[in-house]
Amino acid sequence: MAKTRTGPEEFGRPVRRIMVGLLVLLLLAIFLLWRVDSPRMERFRAVLVDKVVPSFDWALLPVTKAAAMIDDFQSYTRIYEQNQELRRELQQMKAWKEAALQLEQKNARLLDLNQVRLDPKFTHVTGIVLADSGSPFRQSVLLNVGERDGILDGWATMDGIGLVGRIAGVGPTTSRVILLTDSNSRIPVTIQPSGQKALLSGDNSTLPPLDFIEDQDQVRPGDRVVTSGDGGVFPADLLVGQVALGSDKRLRVLLSADYGRLEFLRVLRSHDLAPITNSGGIVGPPLPPAVPTPLAEGPAPDAPILTPAGGTTTDVINGDPGESDPSAVIPQGDTGG
Amino acid sequence: MAENIGKNVWLYRGIFILLAFFLLFVRLLPLSSVPGHLPGPDLLLCIILAWVMRRPEYLPVMMITAIVFLEDILLMRPLGLWTALVVLATEFLRSRAALTRELSFAVEWMLIAGLMIGLLVANRIFFAITFLPQPVFGFALTQTLWSILCYPFVVMVFRATLDLRKPAMGELDAMGRRL
Repeated sequence: MAKTRTGPEEFGRPVRRIMVGLLVLLLLAIFLLWRVDSPRMERFRAVLVDKVVPSFDWALLPVTKAAAMIDDFQSYTRIYEQNQELRRELQQMKAWKEAALQLEQKNARLLDLNQVRLDPKFTHVTGIVLADSGSPFRQSVLLNVGERDGILDGWATMDGIGLVGRIAGVGPTTSRVILLTDSNSRIPVTIQPSGQKALLSGDNSTLPPLDFIEDQDQVRPGDRVVTSGDGGVFPADLLVGQVALGSDKRLRVLLSADYGRLEFLRVLRSHDLAPITNSGGIVGPPLPPAVPTPLAEGPAPDAPILTPAGGTTTDVINGDPGESDPSAVIPQGDTGG
Repeated sequence: MAENIGKNVWLYRGIFILLAFFLLFVRLLPLSSVPGHLPGPDLLLCIILAWVMRRPEYLPVMMITAIVFLEDILLMRPLGLWTALVVLATEFLRSRAALTRELSFAVEWMLIAGLMIGLLVANRIFFAITFLPQPVFGFALTQTLWSILCYPFVVMVFRATLDLRKPAMGELDAMGRRL
């Protein structure tokens, strides 16, 4: 009975197994291709996300708004304390407003005296957050502005107050912002007032740590952190946040941007940034130029250095460069690329 | 009668696709971008494994591939890797459908738990081989543990709503053959 049941499938089964095997191999090949040629596959991904996510748009926005409303509604339960709190803050704000007005007037007078013109490059495009990264391991958001609006990879993105992240991945009508908290985010920053340079490297936590500070003693919790613009891949002097001391005694940054409510984001146009063209080479001192050798001795680029002064050409030919050869070739390829 | 069951299969497939899209949609909602939340369960994986365990014919391999690959694309995961692993896991279950049909739920749960941890480890090994940066092990393990904990609930919910269970003795399939 069992045989009659599986009879027609007996032929199909090995074929099916082969097909599934091929499918898995194809998927792994896609993975390897992604690993090798990440920028191209990411562009493909950006285009596909651009096709799929905006089609959810009609539902994404209302549901998000509804959830926010429920959130707000919950806060009504402690409306009295909130009211008191707001009154206190309002008192402080009035004092600050007075100070700000005076400063603004003073600033305007000084600008007038110096005949300063503000940089016209610093215009921005505002986008609405469409979607999240959807994964607890990635921190990014999708904006509803893209190539169509002239967005380019690497531009800085801010909310009203502070830096939020940078554009990485642009589709025709959407673009992805890698947040400062993502574990792939690295931003060169300056710590004011000491002027120390550091690297803000996201690690999937609310307080990203500061790496490579020259002199830790000069940095105190509460210091302002702004972008430094080092390397020319990111605009300078954008507010990032304040230095804070983490529970693990590392210096971290309390971000100014309100990550709990990313809704409208500004993408700053900064045209003179150096574009990132390759996926990255080895960082290090420049390698010495390859020793010009005749083609016949091609596989021995470093042999003349190793041979003593008395070495003849026969030494070079006989010397087996097999081991040193690949290591000598690969870094050259990387710095050239 | 036979046509009825045949239509049923497509009904279930439709329900699965809708569910998968709904889960993706919920995950993409930009409710809060504050990092550091512990990851929740991977419900799609639970659903796929629970369905394949019960009715492998409801989830053809191409459908699983398409859905998980779409998830790979939208959730910014490395393209193809997780899909390949999930396809392998479902094929593993599919080829053992005759064996697992007799299993009690406790044993099934243990099998699924092993499979999920295997998926996690395989995924991390691939990441390590290709020098990809990856989240801390404990952080990633939280998601797997959540998934394992949620698996019985997923099974229960589908049992209650869609009457999804392993084929009973003497049940017939669309062709009128005995399952």
